[in-house]
Amino acid sequence: MQNTLWRYFALYRSFFSHNLKNEMIYRANFAINIGLDVFFTMVNVIFFAILYGNIETVGGWTFHQTLIIVGSVGIIRELAYLTFRKGFLELGEYVRTGRFDVMLTAPMNTAAHLAFRHVSLTESLGEGLMGLVLVGYGFAHLDAATWISIPFYCLMLINSLVIYYGFCLMVSSLVFWLIKSQELNTMIYYFMNTARYPRDIYHGLGKTFFTFLIPSSLIATTPAAILTGRIDATLIALSVSVAFVFLTLGLFTWTKSLNHYSSASS
Amino acid sequence: MDKEPQPLQLRKQLKQGQDMAAIEVTHLNKTFKTHKKEAGLKGSFKGFFHRETLYKKAVKSVSFSLEEGELVGFLGPNGAGKTTLLKMLSGILYPTSGKAQVLGFTPWERNPGYQRQFSIVMGQKNQLWWDLPPSESFLLNRDIYGVNHKTFRHTLDEMIELLDLKELLDIPVRQLSLGQRMKCELVASLLHQPRVLFLDEPTIGLDVISQEKIRSFIKTYNQEKKTTVLLTSHYMQDVEQLCKRVLVINHGGIVYDGSLSSLSNRYIDHKVIKIRFAETQSATAPPNIKGIVEWDKHHAVLKIQKKEVAQVTHKLLGDFRIEDLSVEKVEVEEVIRRIFEESPKAELNTQGEDKPHKWIKKPGETP
Repeated sequence: MQNTLWRYFALYRSFFSHNLKNEMIYRANFAINIGLDVFFTMVNVIFFAILYGNIETVGGWTFHQTLIIVGSVGIIRELAYLTFRKGFLELGEYVRTGRFDVMLTAPMNTAAHLAFRHVSLTESLGEGLMGLVLVGYGFAHLDAATWISIPFYCLMLINSLVIYYGFCLMVSSLVFWLIKSQELNTMIYYFMNTARYPRDIYHGLGKTFFTFLIPSSLIATTPAAILTGRIDATLIALSVSVAFVFLTLGLFTWTKSLNHYSSASS
Repeated sequence: MDKEPQPLQLRKQLKQGQDMAAIEVTHLNKTFKTHKKEAGLKGSFKGFFHRETLYKKAVKSVSFSLEEGELVGFLGPNGAGKTTLLKMLSGILYPTSGKAQVLGFTPWERNPGYQRQFSIVMGQKNQLWWDLPPSESFLLNRDIYGVNHKTFRHTLDEMIELLDLKELLDIPVRQLSLGQRMKCELVASLLHQPRVLFLDEPTIGLDVISQEKIRSFIKTYNQEKKTTVLLTSHYMQDVEQLCKRVLVINHGGIVYDGSLSSLSNRYIDHKVIKIRFAETQSATAPPNIKGIVEWDKHHAVLKIQKKEVAQVTHKLLGDFRIEDLSVEKVEVEEVIRRIFEESPKAELNTQGEDKPHKWIKKPGETP
């Protein structure tokens, strides 16, 4: 078990350095990516600045607290690109062209292989860095900021990453039936886009929908709640359970779909 | 996560059972399912609501076995089921029914212990990183297959030598020619020194010289490493030069399993006699000569039953003044063509109950 863990660490390192070398070849692309990321994050911030010019709080969240939510989404996106996201973006192409075959014959877990094959530092780096700046800026302007909340904030970020991964696994598994993945990727993109609104704006059915069916309301709000001093045991427990359920279901559908690919492709 | 295997221990276990076949396939079947779609928008619309399922038997009750170290060629036209079969033996595809054991493993269980000991190279797909030099892909494969650094260095040097790759190592793969890329693909899949190697059309699209190089590499590699190689190709030369034994597959079933030479003995019952006359003949052939394919004033070509060759030659030499006479064997290529043309009715094909090679409405029973 420990051996396996080490092996996958080493494999990650190896894949990471290969991907980095690959990205370095396209320097212009790299610069444009970062520029676009900064631009769109700024658009987001301006949107909230205008909104908060008219009202004091949204769902009980002040402007600076909301910046922490927006920033957290950026950080989670970058973490996702560093671990698994881009592999799912490419999955449709792999399945369509049959290049996915290699992932089934290599002595390595298929899901890990797909994830590692395209780990990317730079794809979302601009958004990640902007996220860090926003979270730092928001945190500095809080009335009740405590340093002790930072490690818990980080833990919940990882938990959100697990929810995101589980969701991606479930949605992307459909690729093996649909072969086309464009729509699925768009769906996952909007999933993360709705994460930047505070969870407290939803009520009743909407809240249930964005918690259990499409758990995007938990992604950024839970870590941000901790950092802004609203430690809420129920919310944390809810996030952790949703992460567990989504990961389990995600892995289950993934395995089932792999079997479908194996018996259907030619 | 996958189970961590102990290749060394596995190798030992396998060594003990040395008389065991490297590849053992019994009654393997694969049926693909698809939906019928009529042409046009109207057809698409109809298909959206009501679909008819069609079945195609890609592989029909195939059985064969390979000894360790054998180099066997798989011959068959496009769509005969060669690739499907290789994919099942690599664990990419599940069979519909039947059994297969490769090095004692069932391939589609995808045991890492098996995956570390075989390799599949598909001529039409590449696994190298497109924008990076091949040496980078080699390093990554070293890590994926957990090859010891020293062994890796040694194996790589050996293959660089054999394939003459030294100058290619640091050029991005996208700038390599097809032949150069194929060489690198081969290296990438041999770094972990597989005991079984599946090659699917390794020479496809290559020029004659590259084909020749790949061929001689495969030959040397098989002889030196005693690797079991199963090779598909529709270039006859690949098979003629590399394989003592061939499996001919058509419409999903094996129609011949044996040596190339006895293949022609078995399927061709005639020989071709070519004659150059010493003196000008009449433009029309005399009626008492049979089996004429071509006839003019100076030349003639005759197709004669094997057992009658001696008698006919004798008669020809007696009747005409002949400058040159040769009895020629029919090319292997011709033999294969004949098998492919006639195989649905060939005596070895036991599954003739459905229209072979077509999508049919019922899955049909498999023997």
